[in-house]
Amino acid sequence: MTPSEDFGFLRPPSNEEYEETFRNPSNYSPLSTFKLPSGSDRHYKQQYGDMYFLRLAGLKPAVEKIAAEAWDGFSIAGERASYVHRVLDVRQGELCWVTGTVYMDLPLKPNILDDLTKENFTNAPPPRPTYIDPSNPNLTQITLEDASGRVRLSGNFLSSVHLTTGTVIAALGTENADGNFEVIDIKVPELAPQPRRWEKSEATKGTGKEAVKQSGKIAFVSGLGITGTSSDTLALELLTDYLLGYTGFSGNEDNSPSSGASKITRLIIAGDSLGASVITDAASATDSAGKKKPVPKKYGYDASAYNASPITQLDNFLAEILPSIPVTLMPGQSDPANFSLPQQAIHRAMFPQSRAFCAPPPTGEEKSEPGWFDNVTNPWEGEVEGWRLWGCSGQNVDDVLRYLDFSGDDGDAHKGSDDSRARMQVMEAMLRWRIGVPTAPDTIWSYPFQETDPFIIESCPHLFFTGNQPSFKTAVIDGDISLRLDGGDTEMTDSDETSIPRVRLLSIPRFKDTGELILVDSETLEVEVIRFGVFAGQEEKK
Amino acid sequence: MDPKLFLAENVLNERRPITYRSLSRALKVHANRAKQYALYIILLGGEDLGLICSYRLLYEFHRNENTKNPGSVHATYVITGLQSSPSTSTAATNGNVKDEDEVMQSSPYLPSSIPNQDSASEPARFMAVMLAREEDLDEAKSTFHSISTIHVYSIQSTILQDLNVLVDVAREVATTHAQDDPLECGKQWGMIQNRNVKRRTGARPPPPAPSKTEPKAAPKVKPEPTIPAKRPLQKESSIKEESKAQPSSANDSDASSKSAKPAPKHEKGSLFSSFAKAKPKAKTTKAPEPVAPPPGEDMVLDDASEEEQEELFPNSGEKSTSEMRERKKEREEKLKQMMEDDDADDEEMPDADEEEPAREPTPVEQPPPPKPTELKEEVTVQGGRRRGKRQVMKKRTMKDEEGFLVTREEATWESFSEDEPAPPKKKPAVNVPKGKGPKPGQGNIMSFFGKK
Repeated sequence: MTPSEDFGFLRPPSNEEYEETFRNPSNYSPLSTFKLPSGSDRHYKQQYGDMYFLRLAGLKPAVEKIAAEAWDGFSIAGERASYVHRVLDVRQGELCWVTGTVYMDLPLKPNILDDLTKENFTNAPPPRPTYIDPSNPNLTQITLEDASGRVRLSGNFLSSVHLTTGTVIAALGTENADGNFEVIDIKVPELAPQPRRWEKSEATKGTGKEAVKQSGKIAFVSGLGITGTSSDTLALELLTDYLLGYTGFSGNEDNSPSSGASKITRLIIAGDSLGASVITDAASATDSAGKKKPVPKKYGYDASAYNASPITQLDNFLAEILPSIPVTLMPGQSDPANFSLPQQAIHRAMFPQSRAFCAPPPTGEEKSEPGWFDNVTNPWEGEVEGWRLWGCSGQNVDDVLRYLDFSGDDGDAHKGSDDSRARMQVMEAMLRWRIGVPTAPDTIWSYPFQETDPFIIESCPHLFFTGNQPSFKTAVIDGDISLRLDGGDTEMTDSDETSIPRVRLLSIPRFKDTGELILVDSETLEVEVIRFGVFAGQEEKK
Repeated sequence: MDPKLFLAENVLNERRPITYRSLSRALKVHANRAKQYALYIILLGGEDLGLICSYRLLYEFHRNENTKNPGSVHATYVITGLQSSPSTSTAATNGNVKDEDEVMQSSPYLPSSIPNQDSASEPARFMAVMLAREEDLDEAKSTFHSISTIHVYSIQSTILQDLNVLVDVAREVATTHAQDDPLECGKQWGMIQNRNVKRRTGARPPPPAPSKTEPKAAPKVKPEPTIPAKRPLQKESSIKEESKAQPSSANDSDASSKSAKPAPKHEKGSLFSSFAKAKPKAKTTKAPEPVAPPPGEDMVLDDASEEEQEELFPNSGEKSTSEMRERKKEREEKLKQMMEDDDADDEEMPDADEEEPAREPTPVEQPPPPKPTELKEEVTVQGGRRRGKRQVMKKRTMKDEEGFLVTREEATWESFSEDEPAPPKKKPAVNVPKGKGPKPGQGNIMSFFGKK
């Protein structure tokens, strides 16, 4: 059959010379917020308590400021709310407000003590879809703690808010006869101050808006899920073709398919580049290999125990696109990096072909430029095209959702199957809590930080993304909504020229499932989705 | 190459699917032109007759092909454009969409925008890049709201049951054109160029990999040290042969044979050349050796000897008493024996030579009675296979009475059998004095250098 319309390529081959297309430059400066000390400086003996201490110390001023604005002079029945410094100082019957860290005890939450007593500590606990027990909501206990002690929160108000372990809140209420703190209202730290666009690059290089005049696009993809078999990579081929400009959307002005893709200045891969099943297969393969008789020790890799195909395919993919587009690669849950957050960059030795594009190995103290192919941490923070980005490969949202029950308050059709809205809310809540990974030392494995809690979002990003979500979703949140309560926009106005923080939330779907690539406009932060796929035609139906 | 020939050969004769990218790579033409070539082949009708003048040959060839043999060429297309709402989405409501967030250029598409009380969700432009078979093209097109481009992705002689075979085509392209540096050829192919690309050139070349993973990113550096580990070894072996060729002169500081005295640290020599001084008799048996012993054996011998050599030479040069000669002779034979017993395990050696210096402090206390912990092995050779029992250290973890986990290393016997390595060519000569029979208790090279 013949396609009847003329779409630009149904013409005889011509001898015209094709114009070269050049990609817009990328303005990029990653932050090393989540970089762990290397080698012998990395210790795992510390107690996690320090992280909670640091978190509370870091966020207490912010939340108390907001709470003080809201609750100063607040009175019920003639009783004025007083500020209490420590949780232990709460007196029964007094209306007061206090700041602390939330700890939630949930019936299905993994508990290291349980595991120890049952002596199954050698196996990691199986992943659970949720920690709560919907049939028995009373088992959920929410407590507020600080360095002095812990008080149990109660009250109907709690059912209307979503909290997770590790968030720092201020709670207004009174201690009742049971010794529980009856909560009337809570405050969270709200959005952190947002840097201006180009703030970092202006500070370091003096280059700013002038450097980049053309508008570009930042591409996000996550969950490539490469398994090395041929079945999963056709969409990846199409993605490669698109990124390299072989396939694409002809603009109106010219017919070159690469004009659209040439606007993409950077590709950010937000985790899970390798298929999860492969990792487990390989793991079980090595397990069984361990039980077998120790064959003469072989050095180098053993093809029977380790399937190199996924990482090889990923390397091929990267090596193919890297000559044209810079790539930022975040590890994810299924990637060959450390498991505990912050996951450190996938080692470049995994990429024999692509590593030529990496930054040279660090030499001494001097800070090297970010590589063309930048292996970064997960979570990751950085400045791309002047915008501040904060992203994680999805573990944070997944885990927080295990604490929360969203089925109650949507009520409508989509529960369970489509929780994309809940995920957006969780992402927004993280920004308002100012903690990117609130459940980190509790139910997400984490490095025991001693001096700083990097999960605190010190400066509000312009673009907050989460990888490996079931579906694409985006939203914009503003910082002022809950601040309007008191009319107290003072915080906003006195920070110079920074208007209200405005954050683009981006939930990046798994490419393996959806075939979706997300493009974010570098000027307006508007979002486009490109879906790559194969039309399942009659052949498949047969 | 003539595109016509190329396509005829591959699509019609070899019945391989050809994608526009493999065509572009093979002919070194721009991807867009490759699409046009490919498309031209599948144009069956003659409605574009007026346009074909420039490619009359090509066109006529395929027209003939198709009239002679309708359906001999099938194609897949890539359709790009704005896609209508995904099938999963429900009826769109525009009510809660914030105006300022609208992107909506020409897209009438609205996702099922779920209103958020505190955050505005917005519709995004859903564009799609879809691969469809020729047969499904119309159906596929109907899923698009507006189509931006359609071009040929591949042509093949049969209807593809499974489009994933095209992945293999792409991988094959990557393999066969691995030597093309994308930074240089990208322009030719129509790749989007990037002026700022940074690639380290001084990077070490990737290790030799199966052809599939043949690096194409570093084709420049590749040729020289493809197999970095092999290079020195080969040099060594040639030196070794040199020294073997003139066994007696090795002692007399012949310049060409590398005796250890002038530069014991730098020159690498073989085990045998070191014995040359002490024991010229053995040498003579070796002199007529074939020039190229099996490479595996080379690695064993050289690796094993190179560290040892540095230890051996200074001492043995000074005080080579007759006693020492006896010892050394003994030792040489044992070593040779062991190495030949085990020359299949060549990969073990790189590790072994690291441990060796520690184990052999001086040559004097050298005789290798196995250390107490050394593992034993009993080997018999039958019908081309080696069978036997050997002692291995196994880690066993168990819980003791108090509930602690205890890990012990225990020596246990296990049986094994493995292929008898092909007897190296020089074996008859070397083994004349001893014969090749397995000596129980002697242990193989693994146990000799193995863990302690």
